[in-house]
Amino acid sequence: MSSKVKAIGLVSGGLDSTLAVALVKRQGIDVKAVSFYTGFCITETQRRKGGRADGTVPRNEALRAAADLDVDIEYVDISGGAYLDMLVHPKYGYGQNANPCVDCRVFMMRRAREIMEAEGAAFVFTGEVLGQRPKSQRRDTLRIIERDSGLDGRLLRPLSARLLPPTIPEQQGLVDRSRLLDISGRSRLRQMALARELGLTDWPQPAGGCCYLTDESFARKFFDVLDARESAGEERRIDPEDVILLSTGRHFRLSPRAKLVVGRTEVENALLEHHVDGRARLEAKDIPGPVALVEGEPTWEERQLAARIVARYGKGKDLPQVKVEWREGDLVEEYEVAPEADEARLEKLRV
Amino acid sequence: MEARSLPTPDRTLDTSGTLCPFPIVETAKVVRALPDGAVLLVIATDPGIASDMPMWCRAMHHEHVATFKDGAAWKSYLRKRGR
Repeated sequence: MSSKVKAIGLVSGGLDSTLAVALVKRQGIDVKAVSFYTGFCITETQRRKGGRADGTVPRNEALRAAADLDVDIEYVDISGGAYLDMLVHPKYGYGQNANPCVDCRVFMMRRAREIMEAEGAAFVFTGEVLGQRPKSQRRDTLRIIERDSGLDGRLLRPLSARLLPPTIPEQQGLVDRSRLLDISGRSRLRQMALARELGLTDWPQPAGGCCYLTDESFARKFFDVLDARESAGEERRIDPEDVILLSTGRHFRLSPRAKLVVGRTEVENALLEHHVDGRARLEAKDIPGPVALVEGEPTWEERQLAARIVARYGKGKDLPQVKVEWREGDLVEEYEVAPEADEARLEKLRV
Repeated sequence: MEARSLPTPDRTLDTSGTLCPFPIVETAKVVRALPDGAVLLVIATDPGIASDMPMWCRAMHHEHVATFKDGAAWKSYLRKRGR
């Protein structure tokens, strides 16, 4: 087999994509790993917020996998407008939450095809396993992803290849099909056994996905933004700044035209400070408390309500009155309010 | 590593304010244009650089010279080698 055959491997750093790289590489194929940045990775966001609660910073598993397997790796940023537009208008719909997994995979594979062509590679491969995920890894959707991405016959799934029709590189003898696998389903036992066989000892535990779009709470906030824009007569859309704010703070829908975001930690407060433009900034005066932002066009009553909620989450929550500063461009006002004590009302407003 | 034993960088890349994975994305772009053997100093505020840079260098076969915290920022020295 020629050592000049090159392939593009999509790598997240999880066990399956790590094994896929190992399986292809051991056939003497030159692998280039590609990791896509979508802006919705939970681990990346955790790192952006200073790491885990215990102070440790999660490592970058894609880089770890590339280093362990000794393959080149390239990060590709796909988090721009076209990706966000796909999220709002998925051709194949959403999974259980805001996850349009089939469309997302098609989007990624199209980009992977461009990289394959630019690099002169023969095919693209992934760690997808037939039947492992209910939406994007069924036999029919694996086929849709291959077809719609323009990778017809050139998208190899090494872990399940023997359960799928032979790809062009297999037919051409560039890849030895007999050395590929026939894994299907949700169990990871065979993958773990294979990892031991290949001498791979270090991989992240399956965490049920690393994507915010599959998270129920995030999905509520995601659709709330779309619905609020539609109610206000705007187009349904998500902006890059929304993506950052959706994973930050407590969100309260004050009305269809106004939303409050309250920081939960020092890091989130600092992050919110970077997004003050075009929004009102609230913070209790003289008493420690969160930074909060209000976006939209709140009424006077909603401003008062926002101030009461901000007071509720500060050190003055048990005081009868708290002064809250409202800063909006050059306008600075001060509201003296009673911290919101009605937990049922708070829950009703919480997105 | 003692400051006096660090190589003089041929190029400095300041990624301050950017977060994972962009310090590495920017590093990759700059390294591509450097000649073999050149030293790059990467300045970052993302603490993830401490683990990312050694792993990226290992994957790409560049020489990771040092990564350490210097005040509020991180400094990472690498020498371009590649495959």
